[in-house]
Amino acid sequence: MALLKIDNVTKRFGGLVAVDRVSMEIDEGELIGIVGPNGSGKTTLFNVISGVYIPEEGTVTFEGKDITRVPSYKRAPMGLGRTFQISRPFSSASVRENVAIGAMFGTLAHTVSVDNALKIADRYIDLVGLSAYRDKAAGTLTPVEKKLMEIARALAMRPKLLLMDEAMAGMNPKDIDDMVTFIKKIRKEEKIAIVSMVEHIMRAVAGLAERVMVMNQGTKLIDAKTEEALTNPRVIEIYLGHTQDQSKWRSEIWKEEKDTNG
Amino acid sequence: MKKHIAKYYPLVPVFAAYLVMFLIGRNMSGMWQLMGMLAFYCALGQAFNIFLGMTGYVDFGYVAFLGVGTYGMAIGITRFASFEGLGIGIIAIGFLLALAMATLLSLAVGAVALRLRGAYFAIATIGVNEGFRYLIEGARIWNGSEGIIFMADMNQAFGREMASALSTFWADVMVFIIAALAAVVTIYYMRSKIGYALTAIREDEDAAKVMGINVTKYKIIAFITSASFAGLVGASSWAIKTPYVFPPEVFEIHYTIEAIIIVLLGGAGTLLGPVVGGLIYGLSKYWLAVILPGFQLLIFAPLIIIIIVAFPEGVIGLLKARVNGTKYKIIIE
Repeated sequence: MALLKIDNVTKRFGGLVAVDRVSMEIDEGELIGIVGPNGSGKTTLFNVISGVYIPEEGTVTFEGKDITRVPSYKRAPMGLGRTFQISRPFSSASVRENVAIGAMFGTLAHTVSVDNALKIADRYIDLVGLSAYRDKAAGTLTPVEKKLMEIARALAMRPKLLLMDEAMAGMNPKDIDDMVTFIKKIRKEEKIAIVSMVEHIMRAVAGLAERVMVMNQGTKLIDAKTEEALTNPRVIEIYLGHTQDQSKWRSEIWKEEKDTNG
Repeated sequence: MKKHIAKYYPLVPVFAAYLVMFLIGRNMSGMWQLMGMLAFYCALGQAFNIFLGMTGYVDFGYVAFLGVGTYGMAIGITRFASFEGLGIGIIAIGFLLALAMATLLSLAVGAVALRLRGAYFAIATIGVNEGFRYLIEGARIWNGSEGIIFMADMNQAFGREMASALSTFWADVMVFIIAALAAVVTIYYMRSKIGYALTAIREDEDAAKVMGINVTKYKIIAFITSASFAGLVGASSWAIKTPYVFPPEVFEIHYTIEAIIIVLLGGAGTLLGPVVGGLIYGLSKYWLAVILPGFQLLIFAPLIIIIIVAFPEGVIGLLKARVNGTKYKIIIE
């Protein structure tokens, strides 16, 4: 049974169809990339999964339960964690308190005491390597540190599925590589499924995901193994423009870059 | 165990401030009335802080809870004055009524208005106190616009001497006690899950939801707590002190404004802030009333703009940043 199943989901904003009949399945422990240009409906799809939006059509099923209309604060304890495209720390609270909030409210039992939550928080702060900033106000962190803190906060919720919204946006290549290694590591250690959404950093997707879903204008364009998806002519066309020759030539470049990335 | 108690150390400066105020009032002639007024502002700030400070939501209709609290006490005294043998228990009944009425009203207002966000919530609450005032006057509830005058009932229930002691001395003592209780509840909230949830809501309500926080529930908890303390403040520092209630007086919006100034001045969401804010506001109001009568609000209006722009953290917010990392950190909250 799939961990998360999205079935024919449609979300409209007035006349705009942001997500158009998208279906997908995610199994336990999978690492999937969702790729697509700006405005292709990725974030809307994320918001539908995490309960910020309720879709007009279709269903979202998590561990066999229909959660299409379950409010977001009830989805988190079921095992759905997420980070945001633009980091959303609780700025005045310390890093430790931020992560503790995840541990306190995001777990199923709801019985985690404040003291225990702070202890759990320490563990995840160490895991993401922010130990030195434990007592700093979250608002004073650098953007990369904020992303790491958000990951720690989401992990403290002990999710079964972690949705990462643009975890690598705005990072330099070295930070991206570190983040890719890190995401692989936490997936292995925490044994969770991860859906990572990426707008255009192919370097990250190629190195990270086993499977990629490409979205364009609200629809699912392709859902396949990473290599197959990223070399698909249509995908290349969306990202890099047309003409047959050029796209052939560019697909070579893709391959080359991917090889050098390992 | 020691660590458990250490969590509550920030209460020390708060209680110290109240103790000093109380001692000054008791031992220096002519100071009791001023200290009573200061205690009223501290208590009001402390009560409002539980909502405004901890959630970041502005309730412009806050005075309505103060008002219904006043009515609660007035009704308690007028209805039960003729019962023999209740004695001071009548005051307890009055407080219970004030508490119940403020809680019910806040539940009704909160259940509707707290579904709105930020500025929309503020706008929705503006009308609450005025609406309630016109409801009382128009529908002639609780004597309508004539209000309730219950000096005679107090004399009948407690005897002339006790009634006078109640309104000149014990009413203020009760305000001190309520202010102290509000401080205890505030720190308890801060140190419990409620405080963490409210911090998350204040900083980013959408993110809080996704983290698994039932935001409406926690906002309503803060709202009701804050409102019931306002009810108690109204019952003591108002009803018992000046034994009459008139709708236009107790539903006057400027008490809301004063409460906002006090909380922001001292430091929203801090424990000591409302005390410091209450003292600064009360003293300067008292002083301005002497040197420039009638100009207080004209002076405080620009002041509040300066506070918001120049130091949004308030006095205690600034102090907190200063003591962070020093040994004083443990008692400043």
